[in-house]
Amino acid sequence: MESMIHVGGISKSFGPVRAVQNLSLDIPRGQLFCFLGPNGAGKTTTIKMLCGLLYPDAGDIRIGGRDLRADPLSVRRITGYIPDFPFLYERLTAAEFFDFSGELYGLPAVEIRGRREESFVEFGISDYAHTLIKDLSHGYRQRLIYAVTLLHRPEVLFVDEPFIGLDPFTIRLIKNLLREQAGAGMTIFLTTHILALIEDLADRIGIIVGGRLVAAGTRSELERASPAAGGSLEEIFFSLAGPERPAGGTGIHA
Amino acid sequence: MRELALLLGKDWRVARHRRRLWSEQSRFKIVFVILFAVGLLGGLWALFLHGFRFLESLGGIGLMLVYRLFYLFFFGLGLMLLLSSVVTTYTTFFRSEETGYLLLKPVPPGTLTLYKAIQSAFYTSWAFFFMIVPFIGAFAMHERLPLRFLAWLVLYSIPFVLLYSLLGTLACLLALPVFRRFRAARWAVPVAAALAAGAWLLKTWPLPGDSSLSPTLTRLVPAMQWASHPLWPSWWMAEGGLALARGKWTDVAMLWGVLASNVLLAGLLVEAAGRRFLLPDWQGAHFAAGHRRRRGVLLPSLDRWLGFLPRDIRTLMIKDARLFLRDPAQWSQALLFFGLLALYFLNLRTLHYHVLPAAWRNLIAFLNIFSVCSIMASLGSRFVYPQLSLEGHSFWILGLAPTTMGRVLAAKFMASVFGLGAVSLLLMTLSTWMLSVPAAVRVIALLVALAMTLVVSALSTGLGAVFIDLKQRNPSAIVSGFGGTLNLVLNLGFMLAGILPLGLVFHLRAQPGTDPGGWTAALAAALAWLLLLAGLLAAGALYAGWNSLRRREFG
Repeated sequence: MESMIHVGGISKSFGPVRAVQNLSLDIPRGQLFCFLGPNGAGKTTTIKMLCGLLYPDAGDIRIGGRDLRADPLSVRRITGYIPDFPFLYERLTAAEFFDFSGELYGLPAVEIRGRREESFVEFGISDYAHTLIKDLSHGYRQRLIYAVTLLHRPEVLFVDEPFIGLDPFTIRLIKNLLREQAGAGMTIFLTTHILALIEDLADRIGIIVGGRLVAAGTRSELERASPAAGGSLEEIFFSLAGPERPAGGTGIHA
Repeated sequence: MRELALLLGKDWRVARHRRRLWSEQSRFKIVFVILFAVGLLGGLWALFLHGFRFLESLGGIGLMLVYRLFYLFFFGLGLMLLLSSVVTTYTTFFRSEETGYLLLKPVPPGTLTLYKAIQSAFYTSWAFFFMIVPFIGAFAMHERLPLRFLAWLVLYSIPFVLLYSLLGTLACLLALPVFRRFRAARWAVPVAAALAAGAWLLKTWPLPGDSSLSPTLTRLVPAMQWASHPLWPSWWMAEGGLALARGKWTDVAMLWGVLASNVLLAGLLVEAAGRRFLLPDWQGAHFAAGHRRRRGVLLPSLDRWLGFLPRDIRTLMIKDARLFLRDPAQWSQALLFFGLLALYFLNLRTLHYHVLPAAWRNLIAFLNIFSVCSIMASLGSRFVYPQLSLEGHSFWILGLAPTTMGRVLAAKFMASVFGLGAVSLLLMTLSTWMLSVPAAVRVIALLVALAMTLVVSALSTGLGAVFIDLKQRNPSAIVSGFGGTLNLVLNLGFMLAGILPLGLVFHLRAQPGTDPGGWTAALAAALAWLLLLAGLLAAGALYAGWNSLRRREFG
């Protein structure tokens, strides 16, 4: 199967701290991959390397067949990234921010307007299109950032902790959206701590501990890998990651 | 370039919304800010005009100075622009969340760098225009030039501003990889050695400069020869300005062309540096964690020295000092400030204080006191006023801690008194020593420094509490708000109201036939007025701050 995200033995250190060590992964088109690990395990460092915000010290990354280091601009055209605390232009209105993002990706104005109307209805933010972003609540800002990130129809989406501080309605909206997008062929790389959501969403799960990928596979593959753990993902996670917080974590937020 | 236009267009939209938000502000605030701005511009205009007329009245060398001042003025402003741009570049590029956001978009790093450099030039240049408008206006009035000369010169100076800003950006982008590679302790010695070598070169290099400068002029204003060198962009600016005044349009066009072509070259260099260094520099600024911070010597020692203070107040003070030292944007601005101060001190000797008549000596001594107090007022406004607001989203920690808001305010106030007090006493001692002023003036100067420390600390802390803004993370933005402006104005107002009577009393003593008994009484009255005013202002500001904080909700 075509690999949309290829990670070949990447490592990253911050001074003496080895945040990610020799991590390799291949994620095919249309897969929703959930990256799981304790705090400081290297999840955010990994996602920032995949987006091109950090350079790996060793190894290579290919997104959609393109070398991220050699051709970052063409990778950015096909990717979207939603960080745990996204940046928004507080003094633009929701519509202006949407249009600006579309223009950055070189989309024609008519197309941007069409997608804005469609997308704002889908995310329930039509009534706030001309409200300054600084006046939007956290949930609506999060809806807006999803609308804006999906505007250029990325082939690969990176999402870091997507459900922080959201109400059940918005969580459901985002869950459905992620499933739909993956179903339509978008490759999604997602990190979260919420095991129940991973059970609902993930096609494949990767577990990172102390900067090393200790397991990757579908839910049933992980179950087979740790038969003593019983059925729940929580038990599988603890049996693979260790019962207590492992000493190998970096404790550093990239 | 399409991306650059888009990004600038976005800034234009943001500015339009800002204007709308501005119109939602209280009318009092708008009127106050406008009055203050107009008053400052008018005051500077009058001061410069008076200066030009004074120089003209000297005849000979004074007349020469009127024109030569152009070179010195733009040379100095150019240096300030350059230094300011280095600091602004760091905050605009690496402290702004926007950079991280745009790095993920399909914007080439070179274009992104250019965009940020233009943004940085915009932030750097407002003070420049605030200075040149009254200077050029006064010059135009003195030379009986039409007012459109002012408009032309402001337009003419745009490439000058861009050039220095771009050079500052370039310096910052190129310096960061070097600083990242070597830790402070390692590069401090080479940097100090380079600065010393530069100072030595400045002193000894036989710069051709302008041969038409008379030896007397060079002796009076030693920097004049440097400022008059035709390879400086400030020379192109000054010469172009003078050509504009004389209506020599060919020279104007040629010199403007020289400036503009250098801007284009600097732009290309900045773009190339951005392509190579933007992402590594940004990564260095954001992800350089990892190495264990060694326990330093300074803060534990400070903690011991402050042992007489209650534990909670001491803890808060040490926390603020630690945050300040770990924030490059804060301490680099402080360094810049002290760099400019060093220039001031280096030039004190050129005033030839000891050979001047008594009235002049008195004037210079009190101008020096004013200068040091202005520095205190600026330091307080920039570094003390935003301290409470910078607690930001962590303010609830203070709110829920087993301490009171009164003690939090006391900690901020005392940290300011110790910090500003040390700086002001040092500056006053040094400057009065360099000028060799009489012992009586030296004692008065130190008293004024103490009163100023008390008032600046109390006003900056008290008003910082009254106008607290926990949402704003940028200290410069906090300072530029209404509270920050009011703080600066009140500090300057105290300076005028408190020091002027003392200056007048000393001026009277320099006049022949002054009654010594009456003079002593007048001095006592002026001192009592200074101390009373300082006490009232400090107590009022601290009470207002405490009252505002204790009613505050922490959510």
